[in-house]
Amino acid sequence: MKWYQPQEIVIEQGEENAAVVQRALVRLPDVPVRIVARGWEQAAAAAPQSDPFAAGKRRLLFARRRSPFLEHCPAGTPGLVCCNYLVVSLISNCPMDCSYCFLQEYLANNPTLKVFTNVTDLLAEVAAVVDRQPWRQFRIGTGELSDSLALDPLLGFSGDLIPFFAARPNALLELKTKSDCVAGLLAFDPKDRVVVSWSLTPPEIANSEEHGTAPFAARLEAARRVQAAGYKVGFHLDPLIEYPGWEAGYHETVAQIFATIDARRVAWISLGSLRLTPALRTIIRRRFPRTRLLSGEQVPCADGKWRTFQALRVRMYRTVTRWIQEAAPQVPLYLCMETAAVWEKVFAYAPACDKEVARALIHPHLGDPAAARPLPPVSRPQ
Amino acid sequence: MTEHNVPSSLSDQITAYAREKHLSARTLARWHAWPVEDQTALLGLACELQLNENHLRDFLDWLEEIAVRDRCTVGAILELPQLRQQLGAKTTRNEKLKGVKEALRKLRYPCLSRLEADLRAAVKALALGGQIRISFPPALEGDAVTFTLTVRNVRELAECLMRLQRRLEDGGLQRVFDLLDQV
Repeated sequence: MKWYQPQEIVIEQGEENAAVVQRALVRLPDVPVRIVARGWEQAAAAAPQSDPFAAGKRRLLFARRRSPFLEHCPAGTPGLVCCNYLVVSLISNCPMDCSYCFLQEYLANNPTLKVFTNVTDLLAEVAAVVDRQPWRQFRIGTGELSDSLALDPLLGFSGDLIPFFAARPNALLELKTKSDCVAGLLAFDPKDRVVVSWSLTPPEIANSEEHGTAPFAARLEAARRVQAAGYKVGFHLDPLIEYPGWEAGYHETVAQIFATIDARRVAWISLGSLRLTPALRTIIRRRFPRTRLLSGEQVPCADGKWRTFQALRVRMYRTVTRWIQEAAPQVPLYLCMETAAVWEKVFAYAPACDKEVARALIHPHLGDPAAARPLPPVSRPQ
Repeated sequence: MTEHNVPSSLSDQITAYAREKHLSARTLARWHAWPVEDQTALLGLACELQLNENHLRDFLDWLEEIAVRDRCTVGAILELPQLRQQLGAKTTRNEKLKGVKEALRKLRYPCLSRLEADLRAAVKALALGGQIRISFPPALEGDAVTFTLTVRNVRELAECLMRLQRRLEDGGLQRVFDLLDQV
């Protein structure tokens, strides 16, 4: 994977000595640096560009985050089953440029790749929530507004986060990535409190749609390395993309996962259909005119997003789920951003509440077999 | 051939059409960005069917998506017999437009169209009569199947309910629901 190289480093005045800034400056000695006043970003983003989103990615800004770090995952949309996931964002925007990425719409007006310097504030905020509710289990991820690990060789945030979560029995950190940047993780003992997960699509889709990511085989090899170093790993077959040949592509993907990875140390696998807002479809059409993503049989759904029409995506979920269950029946599976009706069709079961999904995903990590309740295997014939 | 090599007469014709139909700048730009042969093919179709902004946008979307999926040109798609047949039909412009759009939608959404056709056939096979209407959610997204009974009195209502009861008992209605998941 080609490492991220910004065209310019911009530092908000007063943040020059932040640890993460110093680390980055050492590792990017040849990149021009500018010190700017707070609020600079708004003025900079207004400058006209032919592809402002791509241009924004090449500008690396270090700034303080002044709003809370800890948020509920926005996938918790009314009407859809949610897994009670929390997110913290140390980085806003991503060095990669997947053609389906929602950030193209979400950060359209604010595309600078922004790194927040006050990681100690983040840790204090998480500690305040997690340590005060020791009876409650938390799953917290950093992969919402950026790839969790693609910038780790540059920023080294894993060194702040992993020891912090390893010391907390009631919080699980998920580092979600499409990179192979795992070298910085190998020295830590995650104490079963960190799951490193990979988003995977079949190689032909990864090659054509996931620009700037690590190749499929490199991701799996990275997963094997962190697993060997004591981490649990997860996989997200999300977006699950319908294209001519999807069955062969995903069958091989599942086969490759379990040929490479010890299924006993897989924390979870999620599946989620490709979902695109109308605005995002327009952006994708403009930025990636030759993409195959929009050629699937997608239709508008109740939440306004376009997905593969229900009968076909249920078939896709069932098919892929069956392959996973055949290879690793003990691995917990869940669907992302789907209705209870779709859960019912895929698993012959729908969780009664969000907490039920979260419990099923967390408890296998607590060494409490009585509490462990993996999401049920598929029982429907295909 | 690129946009810059487009013969001015074609570009002018498309621009004139866009002006006449009040097409948006974005739609016009998309059209102009196509290879010349595809621009020409779409111009022929647009003139024949007098496509307005909304229809034209659907055609642009679907044709681009089919072309990418099937790795073919828009011109080749528009030459397919199922589209030529609709275009050659001796009928009104509106009917022709409806037929062409339906044929193109079948090409764009083959599984969905097949399922919709199967459901229509299954409902027809129930022979429930004109007073009972069964409708499915748009694009079959979701599970809610709507039964509409149109009756003028209790006797007609009882007859409708009896017909439905018979189809429940012989498994006809179950087959319709089962079809919803079968692609």
